[in-house]
Amino acid sequence: MLQLLVGQTLNGVIVGTLYGIIALGVTLTFGITGIVNFALGEFMMIGAYVTWYLFDVAGLPYPVAIWPAVAVAAGCGFAADQLLFRFTRNNLINGLLVSIGLISIIEAAALLLWTTTPKDMGYVLSGAVRLGGMSLPKMKLVVFALLAAVMFLTYAALSRTWIGRAAYAFSQNPEAAMLMGVRTQVLQSTVVVYSTALAGFGGALYATLYSLEPSMGGLYILKGVEAAILGGIGSLIGSLAGGIILGVTEAVGSIYLPSAFRDAYGLIFVVAILLYQPSGLFGAER
Amino acid sequence: MKALLWVPFLVFPALVQSNFILSIFIFSFILAIAAVSFNLIFGFTGQLSMFHAAAFGIAAYITSLTASFFHVSFWLALLPAIGFTILISLIIGSICFNFQLRAFYFAVVTLAFSELARLVILNWNSVTNGTLGLMVLDKPFVWAPGAGLIKIDGVFGWYFFSLAALIFTVAVCSLVLGSWIGRCFAAIRLNEDLAQTLGIDTFRYKLLSFTLANTLAAIAGSLYAFYTGYIEPNYLGINQSLDIISMVLLGGRSSILGPIAGAFVLTGLPHMIDLSGEARAILYGLVLILTILILPQGLIGTLASWRRAA
Amino acid sequence: MRRLIWSLGVALAASPVAAQNVVKIGQIEAQTGANAIYGYMSSQGLALAVNQVNKAGGFKVGDKSYTVELLASDTRGDPKEASIQLKRLLETDGAKFVFGPFLSNVFVTIEPYAKQFNGKFLLMGGATRIHDFIGTPEHDFLIRTWNWDAGPKGFGNLMVDRLVKETGAKKVAMLFQNDQGGKVLVDIYTPLFKEKGIETQLELFEPGTKDFSAVLAKLAVGKPDILFPSYSDAPLYDIVRQATEGDYFRKFFLVRGSLGPGLKNKDALDDYFVYVPKYFEQAEKTDPKIAKFVADYKAFYKRDFPYDQAPLCSSSCYDHLFMLIEAMKKAGSVDDVAKIRKELLAMTYDGLWKIHFDEKGEEVFNFDVVRMKRGGQISVTSVDVQ
Repeated sequence: MLQLLVGQTLNGVIVGTLYGIIALGVTLTFGITGIVNFALGEFMMIGAYVTWYLFDVAGLPYPVAIWPAVAVAAGCGFAADQLLFRFTRNNLINGLLVSIGLISIIEAAALLLWTTTPKDMGYVLSGAVRLGGMSLPKMKLVVFALLAAVMFLTYAALSRTWIGRAAYAFSQNPEAAMLMGVRTQVLQSTVVVYSTALAGFGGALYATLYSLEPSMGGLYILKGVEAAILGGIGSLIGSLAGGIILGVTEAVGSIYLPSAFRDAYGLIFVVAILLYQPSGLFGAER
Repeated sequence: MKALLWVPFLVFPALVQSNFILSIFIFSFILAIAAVSFNLIFGFTGQLSMFHAAAFGIAAYITSLTASFFHVSFWLALLPAIGFTILISLIIGSICFNFQLRAFYFAVVTLAFSELARLVILNWNSVTNGTLGLMVLDKPFVWAPGAGLIKIDGVFGWYFFSLAALIFTVAVCSLVLGSWIGRCFAAIRLNEDLAQTLGIDTFRYKLLSFTLANTLAAIAGSLYAFYTGYIEPNYLGINQSLDIISMVLLGGRSSILGPIAGAFVLTGLPHMIDLSGEARAILYGLVLILTILILPQGLIGTLASWRRAA
Repeated sequence: MRRLIWSLGVALAASPVAAQNVVKIGQIEAQTGANAIYGYMSSQGLALAVNQVNKAGGFKVGDKSYTVELLASDTRGDPKEASIQLKRLLETDGAKFVFGPFLSNVFVTIEPYAKQFNGKFLLMGGATRIHDFIGTPEHDFLIRTWNWDAGPKGFGNLMVDRLVKETGAKKVAMLFQNDQGGKVLVDIYTPLFKEKGIETQLELFEPGTKDFSAVLAKLAVGKPDILFPSYSDAPLYDIVRQATEGDYFRKFFLVRGSLGPGLKNKDALDDYFVYVPKYFEQAEKTDPKIAKFVADYKAFYKRDFPYDQAPLCSSSCYDHLFMLIEAMKKAGSVDDVAKIRKELLAMTYDGLWKIHFDEKGEEVFNFDVVRMKRGGQISVTSVDVQ
């Protein structure tokens, strides 16, 4: 039983980092542009499908296939920003609803291109690592490492570099930041594009683990938003922590309680946090 | 004057006898009830609640189960549904509004509760038959002077029954919104903090708006269940919530009647224009985006502002 | 002499043989949305069949020539949409033959309305819940276009028999999706296993789940002999991969889904037992009809042939259109629904599949059972239930 618990906790941590990368996108977008981009799950799907296409159909080696996938996701993100999100800055409801409209469009496009038949990408790295009776798939460990690395890099970039400090300043006081010479339009667009790139990257890694369907994004954006709230919207480390906590809660909850309710465990946790600590576990008091 | 707007609907079935078109109208009426009531909390009070579909679905289940299990009429079965909806709205509303959740968090918490409700219904197999859903074979009965007890079955019966329910809903909303309660809602929507300082108990009015909206949604859900003859847990799904939101946005969130137009367009248009499933989804997304960015007042709102400007 | 031939020619040209009439065939399936794979695939098969019939100039019943008009609608899995679409098909379009639905929730919603048209049209669908209504009074309009699992000729029964005989399994872990399809499988197979003295353990997962680690680990604790997973390929690829990678299960038993997930993981599993129902990769090489079908599909859709979804697009709607046409020819009418139904139930059709309908109208077709061992060694057994 202990083996089961440890194994599932580890698995939950890994699954949680996938939630976390989306959560990071959510938190960045909310902090800088004031909206929640619900379509991030679709950008993840774009990244996943392009990776699949380049790796399985075009035959490119996997490390090469990722980058165009991320670029395509980011490019779509840029288009979405210029055409849509630019007009919904700081308008939470409009931004939410516009992104929901975007979801319909992107998902329909994916259906037209690739149909609803699931695509299972060829295995990039198969086999598992045996640890004391437990089996951890090697690819999952790689995915975890890469996602965690990207998240820490993002955190480092935001706290050390100029653009990071500008972003931080902007999220505190937009007018003052503007007066200090921060190019707010550019900053906001950059953040939107970066968050879609993150989602695309998550999607590229997702493709190495699970099968792809046009509807795959829906689950991840929901979990991403939950994780972002858990960790505290506005906190970058919070998004990773929130994702991991969510992943572990679901995995461990599924063992002891009916697995049919897996999604509920995370939800209950989120509601509880929102009521007692609305700023999340790591967020600043607002 | 506004009453005249209903006259075309009353004579319509005499002109168009097609079962196909009338059933589109019936669905539109019932969903319009859900949309108009959603606008109470969303358009008029300014709170984005994702619990609407849950109120719709839970009531559908309670009414259907009560009617078949206890062998009572539709109206008697409706009472526990409404009662439960009021209760759960008060509880959830109190939780949300008491903790002063900001707009986004309110949406998330109501979404969470909605999903929880769906999961409960989905897995409570002994009562709800879970994912297999339930067939609703009972029909409502209406007492009419002269004709006695009429069974609402078949297209014509349902047409007038649902139209009556819609008129009732609109009347209730008009009454509430035209009164001082409605002005409090508007104050909350425009600037909640200011409303608070002016002495309006925002907690109480938000709770009232939320509860009333959900109660009317409960009526819509019960009607839907009895008309379709089948209920399943997806009634409480996020997609149902999003559909209702789209209807309100498309029709216009600043008027009571606006959502009705939205309901008609979104229910009927897919059947008028023959499009592939994907094309329809793209159109739906475009409609949503365009109404937000270009027509923020929705169809009716924009028409009304043109008329005023002219 | 020339004048005689010329006037004969004119007379022939003016005869009714040249008149083109149209038979409307409706289809209500979920082509998009959750579980759309069934509706999507059957719509593919039907569209291809209609195209082939019309390209060949239509078909002749008596001395009239008919073409087929396909009226396919996408229900998106929404019962409300389906009920409106069926009304349109039956009342506005006047269709007498409707294919679909595969989704049980859609079927249950349209059943009360469809019943009003009993005797006036035929509804040929694959939904599992149709089984509950077929053969009952006032349901002559129903025909079920898929095999039934249970019953003496049921493929489920035969599969379970085979499982016991060939592997001696005593404990089966069932992992199904928490929706109508999954639930029906639970209801059918739990008693089937019990009858044969096999212990079962059940776990349900939420539709859309991708990571099955927790639930697989939970099932593996009881050390069952074999895993009996979900019913559509989407989760199956993930389940089989994660089960083998995580060392939870290496033996699999399937009654829905394809060989695909097994093939992909062939070096990691020990045993993969699947009711295919037709092993297309092999059939393509031995049966010219199948080879032609695959070629036609590729030419028509300009896409690769979906081998793992092939059974759905070829059996449930492709062959059936030709069966329907044959029944119309035998009945000598395209309108007399009762006669056409009688002919349908009386025939044994040998097309891509060998099909006949039982006395209630439920389909019985020959199927393949594929067993794959570690390394990809495949053995195919064809079962004849005619």
